[in-house]
Amino acid sequence: MKTKVGVFFGGRSTEHEISVISANQAMCAFNPDKYEIIPIYISKEGRWYTGRELLTLSNYRNIPELLKKVTEIYMRPVYGDFNLYNARKGFFGKDVLDTLDLAVPVLHGTNVEDGRFEGLLETIGLPYAGCDTLASANGMDKITMKMILRDQNIPVVDFTWFTDRQWAAKRDEVIAEIENKLGYPVIVKPADLGSSIGIGTAHNREALIAKINDAVRFSPRIIVEHMVTALREINCSVLGDADEYETSVLEEPIKAEEILSYGDKYMGGGMHAAQKRIPAELPANTAAECARLAGETFRVLGCHGVSRVDLIMDGDNGKVYVNEINTIPGSLSYYLWEAAGVSFEELMDRLVKLALKRHRAQQGKTLSFSANIFAMGGGAKGGIKGGMKK
Amino acid sequence: MISIVIAVFVTAVMAVALGLELKRDLMMFQQNSYRAERYRRWLAESKDTTSMVRVVGLVVLFLSLSMFSRRFIAAGLTVAFALWVIKSLSGRKYKKPLAWTARARRIYGVACALSIVVAVAAWCISNGSLYATDSALAPSLGLLAAFCASHVVIMAANWLLKPVEGAITRRYYNDAARILRSMPDLKIIGITGSYGKTSTKHYLQRILSEKYDTLMTPGSYNTTLGVVRTVREYLKPYNEVFIVEMGAKNVGDIKEICDLVHPHMGIITAVGPQHLESFKTIERVQAAKFELADALGADGTIIVNDDFEKIADRPVSNCNVLRYGVTSNSPWRAVDIVYSSEGTTFTVVGPDGVRMPLRTRLMGEANVSDLLAAAVCALKLGVAPGAIAAAVASIEPVEHRLSVKRTPGGITILDDAFNSNPVGSRMALEVLGTMTGGKRIVITPGMIELGERQFELNRELGSHIARNADIAIVVGEYNREAIVQGIEDGGMNRDAVKVVDSFAQAQAELARIAAKGDTVLYENDLPDTFK
Repeated sequence: MKTKVGVFFGGRSTEHEISVISANQAMCAFNPDKYEIIPIYISKEGRWYTGRELLTLSNYRNIPELLKKVTEIYMRPVYGDFNLYNARKGFFGKDVLDTLDLAVPVLHGTNVEDGRFEGLLETIGLPYAGCDTLASANGMDKITMKMILRDQNIPVVDFTWFTDRQWAAKRDEVIAEIENKLGYPVIVKPADLGSSIGIGTAHNREALIAKINDAVRFSPRIIVEHMVTALREINCSVLGDADEYETSVLEEPIKAEEILSYGDKYMGGGMHAAQKRIPAELPANTAAECARLAGETFRVLGCHGVSRVDLIMDGDNGKVYVNEINTIPGSLSYYLWEAAGVSFEELMDRLVKLALKRHRAQQGKTLSFSANIFAMGGGAKGGIKGGMKK
Repeated sequence: MISIVIAVFVTAVMAVALGLELKRDLMMFQQNSYRAERYRRWLAESKDTTSMVRVVGLVVLFLSLSMFSRRFIAAGLTVAFALWVIKSLSGRKYKKPLAWTARARRIYGVACALSIVVAVAAWCISNGSLYATDSALAPSLGLLAAFCASHVVIMAANWLLKPVEGAITRRYYNDAARILRSMPDLKIIGITGSYGKTSTKHYLQRILSEKYDTLMTPGSYNTTLGVVRTVREYLKPYNEVFIVEMGAKNVGDIKEICDLVHPHMGIITAVGPQHLESFKTIERVQAAKFELADALGADGTIIVNDDFEKIADRPVSNCNVLRYGVTSNSPWRAVDIVYSSEGTTFTVVGPDGVRMPLRTRLMGEANVSDLLAAAVCALKLGVAPGAIAAAVASIEPVEHRLSVKRTPGGITILDDAFNSNPVGSRMALEVLGTMTGGKRIVITPGMIELGERQFELNRELGSHIARNADIAIVVGEYNREAIVQGIEDGGMNRDAVKVVDSFAQAQAELARIAAKGDTVLYENDLPDTFK
């Protein structure tokens, strides 16, 4: 018997294609003796498909053609139902195409990496790899993430935040706050986008207004941060759960422009277009501090599985700040784990084990809802009456 | 021509009545686990074979046969009877209706076929008889006869299907064996024992789940077929440990399960005088339980409870053996057992200086013993002591099984109302005896269903009460004399013994005497079950 792992990828996200690449790498990495991989591709329209053809990367050059060859499926949002149902069942076709044991979401970006998809899996009760809804949501939103980290004494750069409505209604107050609190230069970011989309730097008020006007196109929540000028970026992957985790070797992306733009990160021809140095060349104590902060970020946010924490170092004074966390990192950060002596195959194995461990722990908790409050008379009556009052 | 039409009509109506009755019989047969001897016992107890409908059926059959020449009367009687049966059986609601499993469908099909055979046979016989011209009614009367003896039809169908069922069982068995073979890394742990095996199984599953994905046989699936079913329906490819509870009513039962699962480890929790009616001697109980140890290879490990004489005196040489106990001086022991209103704390002590302090919300020596067995097994499987401690602390007590709670008024309640055996009662009273800080009060109606030792064992209960309690409230008359005698023999002050007639009176008495800091033990069967 092999464990049936549903690998979910694609999705209604700006990082759709990156997800396809990451997932294909991951699906190849699973030990075929232990696991049966079931690819589940979520199209940009949000429809789900499965089929062997999804395992070949070159098939994605012509997606309409690919989708003709594979089967559209759905899952029911019913607790305990792990079946994949045929969405285009003919009269004689099979209704249940397959049944999953476990899900591995390899989805990047807003709509999928932010806990929404995980919430669906939790509703169904299917064990899954990676962060739960809460950690994913907090990890995606740069504002809440930095609030939590700052509260837990993990260094983050100074920031301020506002909504697109606030920007529209009282622009002057917002600008005043940014200038008083942070001063120039600053970085403007939409709060909840995974990639570098909508991010811009501003060295003066004019540029600030332009960058914010750009950012509000992407998100209703905007964060403006103090910009570290002599910036070095350091990334560190963390694997495990909040109780027990380890950190990978560090990487340092080599930037081509002042800040890594979307084009630099992804358009230049695959994931490795941005040059990186592994391991990052850092003094031992700085490297240790980076790893410690990455682990602390993972722990404090209640992360699970494999994440990548992106840190920034002020080259002038050597101070390190946590910049962001990717709860489903590109390529699942396998290259950082290979450098740390953990093969991609073992990485996938450990993600599965972690998923099952969390599932067991959840089932071990007492969730007593077998009693029917409506059947208990007295209080329930009043409750219903009260609730139904118009 | 008319008579043919009538005969077909009568036969059809009677066939429907028989079909409904067979369905009802099959339901009862199913609820007796498809076991002929249990079914016969049920039939004898329920008197279903001589129920009114059957007696009436026999009368109708007899009258119809004797009035065979007046066939319209016979036909009328039969139709009236059949319609009455159909009306009373169709749409009737049962507490546990028939589950149309594959096996139920097979038996039903064969039973219907048998009924047809009876009908055809009746027709053949009557054809050659004096009433040859009226043989058209014979099939319906054949069906009526089958109706009266419908239990026999069901049992005959079951008997005929025996080879088929055997083949299906073998196929399931082979399928389970194949699944187990396909998972060579699966660690299999057998648990058996006269008592405590189910609790130990649950505790072990909880503790091992800290590190391993662990499946256990659910509920009371402790036979070979139960294991087969668990493997085929519940075992997942990612399971790492499989805990198999092994029940034994006869020598060879456990070996049979071991031949299927090939365990790597085993736990024997107790060898005691259980199921002596089939085992005859305690030596045979010992032999049966140790089939689990015998099934292990040289690298296997058997974990046995040396508190039982019939375990301590049994050497094991074919595999590693770890001996544990609470009262015996075994290599693995539970020491420093302290009960409080929070639960129990104790320390697992083992060879090479192993010391593992544990805290649990469970109470009583039996639970400590079962937790000890599970903890030793988990240590051997490499679960970290910290993880074991966390798991043990999270285990929930089962309500009414020596569960502990505190009232808002500061009174500690020990609830052992579901217990009914003398050993458990003694352990519960010993827990009460260790409570400090206030009065120790026990409320008990004593134990029932102990046969000829009823008086003796309840008197012993009384002596345990005298040793461990300050105040006793004895409920009801049934065991009053025995318990009070035992308490007085134990030297407890007669003023401290209250006798009451009902549980309500006991509660009223308790309200008068209990104060903050006191501990109250509710021991033995819930009082509303008998007076």
